[in-house]
Amino acid sequence: MFNFNIDFSGEFFAFFSLAICAIVGAVLAINFTKVVHIVMSLAFTFVALAGLYILLNAEFVAFVQVLLYVGAVTILMIFGIMMTKHDGEGQEPARPLLETLAAIGCICLFGILFFAIRNADFPTEVAPLPDDNTRAIGLELFSRYAVPFELISVLLTVAFIGAVALAKREEDPQ
Amino acid sequence: MQHFWNDPLGWGNAGIFIAGAVAVLAVVIFFVTYAIYFERKFIGWMQFRKGPNRVGPLGLLQTVADVAKLLLKEDTIPSKADKGLFVLAPVLAFVPSFVVLAFIPYSMNLQFADLNVGFLYYIALSGITTIAIVVGGWASNNKYSLLGGMRSAAQMISYEVPLVMSIVGVVMMTGSLNLRDIVIAQEGYFWDWNFLPQILGFGIFVISAISELNRTPFDLPEAESELVAGYHVEYSGFRFAFFMLTEYIYLYAIACLTTLLFLGGWNPPFPQLDFIPGVLWFFLKFAFIVFTIFWIRATFPRLRVDQLMSLAWKVLLPLAILNIFLTALGIELM
Repeated sequence: MFNFNIDFSGEFFAFFSLAICAIVGAVLAINFTKVVHIVMSLAFTFVALAGLYILLNAEFVAFVQVLLYVGAVTILMIFGIMMTKHDGEGQEPARPLLETLAAIGCICLFGILFFAIRNADFPTEVAPLPDDNTRAIGLELFSRYAVPFELISVLLTVAFIGAVALAKREEDPQ
Repeated sequence: MQHFWNDPLGWGNAGIFIAGAVAVLAVVIFFVTYAIYFERKFIGWMQFRKGPNRVGPLGLLQTVADVAKLLLKEDTIPSKADKGLFVLAPVLAFVPSFVVLAFIPYSMNLQFADLNVGFLYYIALSGITTIAIVVGGWASNNKYSLLGGMRSAAQMISYEVPLVMSIVGVVMMTGSLNLRDIVIAQEGYFWDWNFLPQILGFGIFVISAISELNRTPFDLPEAESELVAGYHVEYSGFRFAFFMLTEYIYLYAIACLTTLLFLGGWNPPFPQLDFIPGVLWFFLKFAFIVFTIFWIRATFPRLRVDQLMSLAWKVLLPLAILNIFLTALGIELM
């Protein structure tokens, strides 16, 4: 269970530093008290995750991750935060019982995950990766997965129209 | 540069990478220095005055003096500002703008990273700069800079959509997102370049690109007559210089991208002229686009903020979608 057979290659170091960046971002997101700082550290985590995708030869997924999560989601959150008031920011009263229980729960979850990951056997590469994986994703998306893709776009359109309708209704009474 | 990627990373190769990055930085800073000089000169000539002409011969050292002034200025941080984010924002704005330059092929053999995601890389990284602008505006703790930051982010996000949609036609014609493949597909005479078959996409791309760069007639985020200065009101000294540098590097990147996507990259306008090296053709087209952007700045009035948003969503986006349909029809019928 504990045989860490790791060869220290450049890829390993890249993985290690990106993983640390991702974890540091996530931990800081929990620890910061100002909401804008939390969002910024989340964005940092997203960028580190994109780096991990590049390491896995998934450039398309990586840049879509940066585009959507870092670009769109983070800016959406920042906008939401800036448009609302935050008077309740600051230290909350300490709740020792709750915190102990949460800590025990976290340690248990970590144990379970660690055990499960160590015991899982990952199949070695099933098929060779296509050379141009952006093209491969495009071909799959518009041939085999065309119906789910179209359904998702219909769903997005519905959400879009719904948002416009909601915004319109707020404007009306004047 | 490509073959260095596949070699193992030793000290020699790391040195080559660092030297490459420093070389690009030097080229970019040189470009920015003289882009600012020529911008002021052109606008001066168009307004029937001389432009900078005191520092150095013909005023050539004016920008150098300006930058030196900015670097020597007192570094002020407002006492009520969020110090960490205030300091971080210029860095966060500059880094993606410089990283974007890694994927631009200047000629057949001069390129740093051959990415198969192509244009997506530019859009993804420029989004990080948008965050930096909002955060810089917010961290200054000044209502004018917050307003400027908000307007800037809203504008950059809105115009990103038609910008991406306008190049879908080019991607469909080439069958690849890779910039190198896009340029190779445009080989031949100048009417084979994408700007003629994709004239609608080209127009939308140029308009949204100028807006994405926050330049006149879309320079609302820093409208000097209404917003004090925009998101960088509280910034001075080298932090302000970094924001300005970022803007001009994006100008460089957009001019390169327009050249590559629509004007045939390093291809000469006539195949008979290919004894002139490709880098030179690239540079000529690049310089022409930069000049056009300055020209537009000198001649157009500024849009109003509500007109700006409806232009993006009600005019450019439907036209971009129409362009995609027309391209698909064209490909099917031919």
